[in-house]
Amino acid sequence: MIRSILIANRGEIALRIIRACRDLGIRSVAVYSNADVDSLHVKMADEAVCIGGPTPADSYLNGSNIITAACLTRCDAIHPGVGFLSENSRFAKATENSGLIFIGPDSETIALMGDKIEAKRIAKAIGVPTTIGSEGPLADMQTALSYAEAVGYPVILKAAAGGGGRGMRIIENRSQMPEMFAAATKEALSYFADGNLLLEKFIGNARHVEVQLLADSFGNVIHLGERDCSVQHHHQKLIEESPCAALDEKTKVRMTDAAIEIFKHIGYRGAGTVEFLLYNDEFYFMEVNTRLQVEHPVSEMVCGIDIVQQQIHIADKEALPFSQEEVTLTGHALECRINALSPGKIENYIPCGGPWVRIDSHIYSHYSIGCHYDHLLAKIIVHTSHRNHSIRVMKRALQELVIEGIVTNRDQQLQVLDTMQFKTGQFSTNLFDQVMSVQKSQTRKKAYA
Amino acid sequence: MLREDNCPRCGHVIKGQALASEWGICNDCTHHLDIDPRQRITLLTDSDSFIEFAGELTSSNPIGIDGYAEKIAQNQKRSDLTDAVITGSCTIGSYKAILAVMSFRFMGGSMGSVVGEKITQAMFKGALEHTPVIICTASGGARMQEGIFSLMQMAKTSSAAALLDRLGIPLFIILTNPTTGGVTASFAMLGDVILAEPGALIGFAGPRVIEGTIGERLPAGFQTAQFQLERGFVDAIVDRRKLKETLAYLLGMHQYKKIKRTMRNVPKKEETQVISGEQGDLVSSVGTMENMVDVEAPSPSRSSWDRVLLARQQCRPGVDTYIKLICENFMELHGDRYYQDDPAMIGGIGTIGGYQVTIIGNRKGSNLKENVLRNYGMSNPEGYRKALRLAKQAEKFHRPVICFIDTPGAYPGLESEQRGIGEAIARNLKEFSMLKTPIICFITGEGGSGGALGIGIGDKLYMLENAVYSVITPEGYASILLRDPSRAKEAAEAMKITARDLKRFNIIHDIIEEVPEGAHANPAYTAQKIKDTILKDLAILCRKPADTLVRYRIKKIRGIGMGKYASSWWDPLLQIFRDVQNRVEH
Repeated sequence: MIRSILIANRGEIALRIIRACRDLGIRSVAVYSNADVDSLHVKMADEAVCIGGPTPADSYLNGSNIITAACLTRCDAIHPGVGFLSENSRFAKATENSGLIFIGPDSETIALMGDKIEAKRIAKAIGVPTTIGSEGPLADMQTALSYAEAVGYPVILKAAAGGGGRGMRIIENRSQMPEMFAAATKEALSYFADGNLLLEKFIGNARHVEVQLLADSFGNVIHLGERDCSVQHHHQKLIEESPCAALDEKTKVRMTDAAIEIFKHIGYRGAGTVEFLLYNDEFYFMEVNTRLQVEHPVSEMVCGIDIVQQQIHIADKEALPFSQEEVTLTGHALECRINALSPGKIENYIPCGGPWVRIDSHIYSHYSIGCHYDHLLAKIIVHTSHRNHSIRVMKRALQELVIEGIVTNRDQQLQVLDTMQFKTGQFSTNLFDQVMSVQKSQTRKKAYA
Repeated sequence: MLREDNCPRCGHVIKGQALASEWGICNDCTHHLDIDPRQRITLLTDSDSFIEFAGELTSSNPIGIDGYAEKIAQNQKRSDLTDAVITGSCTIGSYKAILAVMSFRFMGGSMGSVVGEKITQAMFKGALEHTPVIICTASGGARMQEGIFSLMQMAKTSSAAALLDRLGIPLFIILTNPTTGGVTASFAMLGDVILAEPGALIGFAGPRVIEGTIGERLPAGFQTAQFQLERGFVDAIVDRRKLKETLAYLLGMHQYKKIKRTMRNVPKKEETQVISGEQGDLVSSVGTMENMVDVEAPSPSRSSWDRVLLARQQCRPGVDTYIKLICENFMELHGDRYYQDDPAMIGGIGTIGGYQVTIIGNRKGSNLKENVLRNYGMSNPEGYRKALRLAKQAEKFHRPVICFIDTPGAYPGLESEQRGIGEAIARNLKEFSMLKTPIICFITGEGGSGGALGIGIGDKLYMLENAVYSVITPEGYASILLRDPSRAKEAAEAMKITARDLKRFNIIHDIIEEVPEGAHANPAYTAQKIKDTILKDLAILCRKPADTLVRYRIKKIRGIGMGKYASSWWDPLLQIFRDVQNRVEH
């Protein structure tokens, strides 16, 4: 029985996990770096342990400090959150070796799915369509060139051990290859300590659609619907929604079935997401995220299930308390991420609210945003019966939101929501860049006018 | 049988549920509900074996309270009991026992003259018939309507318990929900083994009284069975469904042995295992040891420092592994009855090759989480006091004591000092040296100075091949005497801390073999060697009278480091022993 959990993360996701613990009557232990002393998750947890200096390597990526903190505070389990060590199989193994429970899949699964090449191979083997590209890691730039010739430009280079949108380079033509190959290899090495790259045909106007799944340790796997995360900037997601506006029922069933098939095949345990590219009513497997996702609230609103609580129950060796038939997906949920575009101190913060609005955030008035970590300030989630209604309520909520003292992307989000493409649901991963370039040219026009 | 339709803890419906109607346990949250005492007797005893006695006793209203007689009559009618306890003789698992079951349903289980008298009679009956006494307690405290006579029942029942203790007859207590007040402060806390039902409220003052006095909310879990286990006042928490089998086990382990001054705690020949090897006797084994002084040590295959590292390895098997491999059965008993149950020290009773023994050992962890919980095997005073409590019980019930030593040392912390770690170890050294029961000690890993010696006084002392035993760690020696902590390797060599060294010095009796890589590679091999040694030694030691054992133990301790000068002090010591015996006899 898990009675206490150490949350190996920070910011709004740490808060989210602490809240799930509270609801389950589980003692929560927070960890923090010197830079996060005033952070809200430290104040809210039952206990807090300082685990190092401001840089992630010193603190939130310091696996041995985190495990020791868990043992010293008599925790039963560690929840890794998102990012940081959540997809680090060595950390998962070390946690298990120390007598603690790692809330997530076992370390072998994490290692397996963490290798994008291996993941695609498995998907292909069980008959799930995958994006065309290299079958294995690229031996050198020449191999990359020959593959690129075969599949046709534009192509994308991705770090095999990568994630979070890093270690990726899009190549439009031959001449760009040498420079991009070197840059991608370098970034992959520095972020993931693994310079292996794979090459795929790049579909510029595809949609990024992912399926949220829950699997227990008894082989039961269910899906909680899909999420459309196509509004992205430099591969960082900005707006997510469920259900996907461009997905017909038949394709949706094929997609969720494929996702379930993959999870059953690898014996997955815990919460996880299978990411696909949707293009011309066809879907192509991209990768598996063996962790909780930032945008999980979107699925939670639509299916009415607390995903973090389910993660804890699954880690506690409980069977899923519902079957696929008992899961009903109702209405439409929309999430906008509010990021800080500059560090600074929040002079005034007034959250939005009202019916159908949920806000997951760790900020408060006079809280300082530093430069060491990601810049997510808040997630605004709206859940109504129809997509149009959600967009309207989201616009109202975003306009209510007051964050003074730093520059945020609130206005940019409003612009995206205002576009015809978004309103009609006919958009793809290049929507945000389109909106920003239009804005730039408009500004220039104004300047010259 | 159950008075409620819904569980008082979780609120779920229990009416008509099988688990609830048979055992009085909620099937949703396993809360143990109050059950009728006759139901409890049926669940605990062999069928039709319970014969009630003293059932006719009723209160005479000693201080003349108005309405008391009517209240008694009312309670008698409603609960079908004459007072708050039923007493009788019975068998449990075919073992005879005297059983008393209290009931909260009769005037809140309050203890007045009738309850006190019946409990005392039960204990006296146990004393006369040499039968163990088992009491199931449930009480809100003293019966106020009988005034000072209620208070005095505490004295009456406790002195009866003292008699049982003096006669070496076991008293087993089962604390059920709730057990408070005068009952807690008398016989309930005097059991040789105290069991508790899960979730039971156990304490002296009631929670509301405490809150009123201190003006604060009580912490969650205060005064529950789990709390009492952690604070060292309960040996084990046993689910109601397992109570009968646990009691049968305890009764089997405490069968009365007619012993005067000779030890006859020897199982029948068929019950023990045949051990190969010479069946020497005590005198000659002591003799051979003395002749071993000054024997040259053969060149060791592993360096001392390598053995230190091996002894400290996290994967090295510990007392838990050896108990599992050596004992046919084992029941852990918790607590020192003063302050806490030390997680770094394990103690309990079990059977090895047919011999019933008490086992005590230092406990390290097999991973980081366990190590933190067990303080890396470093005991507080509570560990040594628990060891002493169980060793004294072994002496009372004529069980040999087997000690497994593996500790970096006693914990050198603030609270250790506050609770007298020095006194705890010293008392153990004193008491263990004169304990009237065989003691066999094995150092399986690190013998950390005083912390090891605190459970290391015995008739026989053995070390595993790669174990080490030292007065200070090599690092400490290097820091202080060599003024350079990095010279620990050298220090280890110089200090002569390996098994071979100690055998040469005549400190240990023998070395227990391990497989060449170390015991962790094949724990079963070493466990078998340990078991053979135990059985060989117990065959000799258990046949000796207790006084003889003590005499030879003292001789061995007295003679450490004396070598050739043994004879000069032995005869006067022998005279002292004879004088003591004569004084006892007359």
